[in-house]
Order: sequence, then C-alpha cells, then structure tokens
Amino acid sequence: MPKLIKLTGDTAQWADDVFTHVGDDDALPEGDVILSLARFQAEGEILLSNSRRVGVRVEADQEVEALAYDLPRLSVVALAFPKYRDGRAYTSARLLRERLGFTGEVRAVGDVLQEQAGFMVRCGFDAFEPADGATPEVWTKAAHRYRHVYQRAADNRQVAFEERAS
Amino acid sequence: MKAITANRLIDGEVVFWKAGAWVEGFGDAQLFGEGQDAEVEAVVANGKAQPTVVVDVYPIDLAPVDGGLAPISYRERIRALGPTNEPTHGKQAVGGEVIEALRHAAGAARSTGRVDLIRRK
Amino acid sequence: MYLYDPIDREFLTDRSNEFRHQVARRLAGELTEDQFKPLRLMNGLYLQLHAYMLRIAIPYGSLNARQARRLAWIARTYDKGYGHFTTRQNIQFNWIKLKDAPDILDALAEVDLHAIQTSGNCIRNVTADPYAGATAEEIDDPRVWSEVLRQWSTLHPEFSFLPRKFKIAITGALTDRAAVKVHDIGLILRKGRDGQIGFEVIVGGGQGRTPYVGPTIRSYLPAEHLLSYVEAILRVYNRHGRRDNIYKARIKILVAALGAEEFARQVEEEWGKIDAARANLPASELARVRAAFAQTRFETLPAVSEAFEAARAASPVLQRFVRNNVKPHKQSGYAIVEVSLKAIGQTPGDATAEQLEVVADLAERYSLDDLRVTHAQNLVLPHVKLDDLPTVHAALEAAGLATANIDLASDIIACPGLDYCALANARAIPIAQDIARKFADPDRAEKVGELKIKISGCINACGHHHVAHIGILGVDKKGEEFYQLSLGGSGAEDASIGRILGPGLSADKVAPAIDALVDAYLNIRAGDERFLDTYRRVGLEPFKEAVYAQAD
Repeated sequence: MPKLIKLTGDTAQWADDVFTHVGDDDALPEGDVILSLARFQAEGEILLSNSRRVGVRVEADQEVEALAYDLPRLSVVALAFPKYRDGRAYTSARLLRERLGFTGEVRAVGDVLQEQAGFMVRCGFDAFEPADGATPEVWTKAAHRYRHVYQRAADNRQVAFEERAS
Repeated sequence: MKAITANRLIDGEVVFWKAGAWVEGFGDAQLFGEGQDAEVEAVVANGKAQPTVVVDVYPIDLAPVDGGLAPISYRERIRALGPTNEPTHGKQAVGGEVIEALRHAAGAARSTGRVDLIRRK
Repeated sequence: MYLYDPIDREFLTDRSNEFRHQVARRLAGELTEDQFKPLRLMNGLYLQLHAYMLRIAIPYGSLNARQARRLAWIARTYDKGYGHFTTRQNIQFNWIKLKDAPDILDALAEVDLHAIQTSGNCIRNVTADPYAGATAEEIDDPRVWSEVLRQWSTLHPEFSFLPRKFKIAITGALTDRAAVKVHDIGLILRKGRDGQIGFEVIVGGGQGRTPYVGPTIRSYLPAEHLLSYVEAILRVYNRHGRRDNIYKARIKILVAALGAEEFARQVEEEWGKIDAARANLPASELARVRAAFAQTRFETLPAVSEAFEAARAASPVLQRFVRNNVKPHKQSGYAIVEVSLKAIGQTPGDATAEQLEVVADLAERYSLDDLRVTHAQNLVLPHVKLDDLPTVHAALEAAGLATANIDLASDIIACPGLDYCALANARAIPIAQDIARKFADPDRAEKVGELKIKISGCINACGHHHVAHIGILGVDKKGEEFYQLSLGGSGAEDASIGRILGPGLSADKVAPAIDALVDAYLNIRAGDERFLDTYRRVGLEPFKEAVYAQAD
C-alpha cells in the first residue's frame, strides 16, 4: 500500500494511502478514489451514494469554490502543485479551511518539497505526497521551524501580537 | 576557439574548465578548437553533473586579440576581468599579459556570450 | 524607530538557522540549484557576474548607528570594504561567498537586520518616504504602516510563491519621495471626511518591460482596513496573475488586462468575503507600533540658530550645501540633511566602510540615532539641529560625503549594470561617471537646477530610467553597448513615463548628448522652469534636434 505523510495535531506520521488517484479515462477501481474536478462533477454523485469515500483533485488553475456544496460529503481535497513555485494551492487550502469550512483531508500533491512544509501546514494542508523523499520526521521539523508567526492563517497559531498581549 | 566557464557554487567565483578541474584565471582555461564540439558538449555535461561544485556551465566563444585570446562577448570579458569601475577588484587585480589582452579587446558578437543561446531557447 | 523585541529576535534566529540548514543541504547535493534558488533569493542572495550578491533589507530605509556600523563591519569582513544602496532603500554587497552567507545573516540578526524577502516572488521591502517623522508635510507617519505591512508580509504562508515579485511603497506626504505610483501597490496617506486617517490605494504601477503609472483603485480606504484590503489584492493576484510567462507575471499586467475598474471590483468582492475582524490589526498592536515611532526627543529651539547663521554667512561652501542638501524640518531649529553618495567620478550609491562609520557616528551624535536611505541611493540624517549643522557638514566633507548636488544633474541614479549584474545588457556606472563629470562645476549644476537622470543597464529598470527627467537604458545592439535616451519621466506625485528620444547612442556619445539636451533646455527655458517642466511645455522635438541633428 502506498504511503503518504499525515499530520495529526503537531506530528507528522506515515499513513497508508487508501485512496487511489483515478485518471479521467481510467476504469474505476474498488474502494476509495480521488477524481479530477471534471470527473467528480460528472460521476461524483453516483459514487458518493455507493458509500465509498471520494476525494477530488483540484488543479492549480481551478477554483476550489466549485466544490463548496459538495465539501461536507468529501473525504479528501487534493490540491496540485504543478511546480513547487506555483503558489495558487496555498490560497486554495486557506479558502477550503477558513472560508468553506472544510474539515476533511487537504492533501498536497505534485511538486511537494519539504522546504515548503511550513507554509503548507500553516495554510491548512494536513496530508502530503512528498516528491523529494522527505520523511515524516523531516516534515514535522520543517513545519515547526519558526517559534513565532506574524500573520493569521488556517492553522490558528497564535500571532506574534497576540503573544505580546498575553 | 571556445572555452568553458561556470560559477563556483561555494563562493560564486567565475571559473574555467581545465583538464578536469575548474581554474580561476582565464589565461589557464583549456581551449577547444574547430571540430571539438563533441568534447565541448562532454565537458559541459560533466560540469552539469557536478551540481555541488559549479553552477551555470556553458561554452563561450573566443577570438584572437593583441597579445592573446579574449571572449568575443563583452559580458564574458567582464566576467574574466572584473568590474570596470574598480580596477583593483576581481581577477584583473593580478595584472599581467592575459589581463592586458582582455582589457584591450574590443567589439563583441553577442553580449550574453552564450554560444548556444538560440538552441537553448 | 521600531525596536525588535524578543519575539522579533527569535524570528530572525529561526530564519538564519533555516537558511544555514538549506545551504548545508545544497552543498551536500540534497537540493538541486533549481530547488535552492528561490530559497536563497528569499534571503536576498543572488548569483551575479563575479560572486554572490547579498541584498540586505533596510525596512522603509530606516537604520540606527549600531546597524550602520554592523554593515560597515560586514563590508570589511566579508566583502571588499564597501556597500551599494539601492532604489528600494536596501543595501547590497557585491562580493559575497555562499559559504559565508549563514554567518552574515547571524551577524545581521544581532543588530536586528536581515535579508528576508529582499528577492524572490514574494512581498519585498516596503519602502517609504525617507523624510518620515521629520517632514511637516505628512498627514501620518508612513513608517508605522510600513512596519505593520513588513511584519504581516514576513513569511506569509499564502503569499510566498506569487507569480512574481511584489513591491509596496507608502508616502505620508503629498510630495512623493517614494515613487508610489510605479509600485505594485502604492499607498498615499489621506485624511478622510471624518478627519480620520486612510489610504488612497494605487495598484498596478511598475517599470521594467511594460511601465505603468498605477491607477487608483480606491480613493479612500480607512486605515484600520489596510491589512484586509491588501490581503484581498494579493489573493486576487495570487490566483489570477499570469504564471505562463515571467515577462507578463506582474500585477500591473493583470490590472491592465482586466482594466482598473474590473480589477477593483474583483478586489472589493474578495474583500467583502474576508473576515475583517480576523484579518485587520487590533488597535492595541497598531498603538504599540505607532508608539515606537513617536518622537519625544526633540528639544525646544528657536527657529533661527545664530551659530548656524554665522557659519553660513562665512562659508559659500556651506551655503551651497544648505541650498541643495538641507531641507526644512517640522520641528523648529532642526533640519533634514541629505548625504550625497554621488561624489563626482565615484560609483553612484556606493559607500565605503569608513564612510558608513562616519555617517553612523553623525547619526548617533547629531540625528537622534536615526539614519535613512532614499530611493535615489543617497542617505539622510533626518533630525539635525541647525546649531550642529556646520559641524555635521565639516565631518561629511572630510569623508567625501558633502557633494552639494541633491536632485541636480550629477545626482544620478544608476544600477550596478553589466559591471556586476548577470541580467544586464550594458554598463551603467561608467556612463553615470561620464555624465557627472560634465556637471562637476557646481555653479553649472546649480544653474541647470533640478534634473533627475537615471540609468538602467537593462530593461528590468532597477535604475528607474522610465521615471527620469532624462532616462538612459542600456541595450545590447549586436553585442555593443548602446544607450536609449528618454525624456519626461517622473517618479514623484506628478508621475509619468518617459518617452524615447530617438535611436540608441554608443557609450561615448551619451555624455555629449546629455550636454546637448541641457544646452537646449537652457536656451528654451522660461523663467526658472525645471528641465522637466520645459520638456512638458515644448515636447520632444527641440530636444531630439539638439541630439540627433548634428553634421556627422
């Protein structure tokens, strides 16, 4: 079974990845699946009513708001980084968490590197398919490098000015 | 005539390929003549395979000038010499024949100095 | 000035530890250059022609003596004894080694300096009026808001991988010494109808390949909404800025493509969805930041200083210095003193370690430990008592820092150009030196009056040539260095983009062309119009003729 890094609280660990990424032209396997936005919009309803768990993969140029009404029934939203320096998924993650109230798994897929772990965690990602051989230990460390943060984000960490006031 | 140049990773110093090593002086650079394109490509590939030693490896065109050889490109002459506003800074500070030849070279074919610029794009 | 507290200091420590770790991974081959490059850029480290260049942040151009001394020490210890001030109020060192960079960041952190986000596709140094807190013109101190934005934008997790770099500038005075109209976001402090403080918000100004004077997308934003509104702007840009072509990736392209109205609509729509209470700065924190800039150490002095008047009467040199380099201060008995880094024949914007130490001492003794950097690559001692002005002038003169040429023809902005920069097509420094020598005679320079000449060695326009009275752009014409002149640009409140004068000139023809332009101006000018005003009155033709209609 393939593995991914899952963040639970402050710690990252290996977890079994029970979801299969299914391409638009692939036959649907048994079990939990992650579909493209287009395929989900076409077939998602049927799959969900079969009581299997469904996730959606959102590309960098797709708007995550398109899933607004479906989110309560989705287990995973996978946000793609076509290249690590394409920062659109950070916005998508924050919107999923802070505006759309998504409480399922927000997974980083694509060109996912440990040097960006801290930013990802702050934006609300809690699962990662690393492209650079990173381990959960490395991920935990990278995500907690900074003792203080200066702005609010999806992680609800106490901001510097709140620390000062307390 | 060509030489192969790069920047050293650890300190950014401009360096030139010489028989398996990277040297700092343009005058010490290994020269590649007509018909040695395959060797040039091999060296560049070799350089790219040393990412912890050098970055940005590429060949440069040279032409004869009074007193020696100089890169055709103005930019490469500055890389081989140092900044023109401060003659005591950079490689030019050591002086000597090679430096003088570089200093007096004039004209250029292409200011970026990259021989394979068009093919790269 | 804003003094770092333990939280700010721990942040710098964590940052420099992170970078040390990243450098180690790069040297060990665990990171490719492609993966490492944005990481080192976000710590201000460029690979240039001869070595690495480190760009150190000077937030809104503000330094104290201890920091200036540390910069001098870094110049001596890790570089070749000098530094270069930039058009974004930062300082650059040209001869840095990658292996020393982590130690340098540690040394900077000890005096509350850093190189965070001085490059990369993130929010860069927020620049501001260098006369902030000293000028009577300001509605509010732009440093307060610059510091607020600086903290908010530091390692912002959502906005650290934007389509391209992002530059913000703020002015508190209507006289714009921060070039706000050619920034990605320009903020002008304004008084609202209710007497409260707010901002005029300009988005999509910029230079480079496609220069724009930015449109105002909101004429008045109540100040307490600054962070939520800027967040809305950044989010629209992060989502919709182009990522397919680096030459079309700035926000100015998005604003131009959508049109200012539609862009503003999208920002307002996004802003409407943001939880303002969560996004804006609490009043208590704003008060804390504001208190850092409250100036309580002014003395009560008469408007006229007899000692100063006597010294001035006795010294034509001091008179000239005061005429050009000294500006009125809001507090009676004080003055704002510009320190020119444009000595004739020197590299514009450079200061030696010794000069930095002189200026540090002067700032500490005579300027309430306050030193500024301007976007014209000069320095400012913002709070000098008139009583002390003769002493300060003498010390500057002894250090080669008293050239009385602020805003005159020899006060040239020049980027490092092909002498240092890997992006350049042509050299800028020797051109600046040639032109400065033409105006070495201070009488001639003063006769010509205000003339802002700015030189960029490539289209990236770091020398701000688009907004120069006479702009000079270095181009590569068949491998030779050629220079394209433009006229009539301005980076001030009367912002305009310069118009190209004619075909490019070879290097040796540039300074004579400037001479010809100035002679033409002196012949045509009405009254005491500036060069810029004459150009705006008569247009390009007379100047074009002066340069190109020559028998040769």
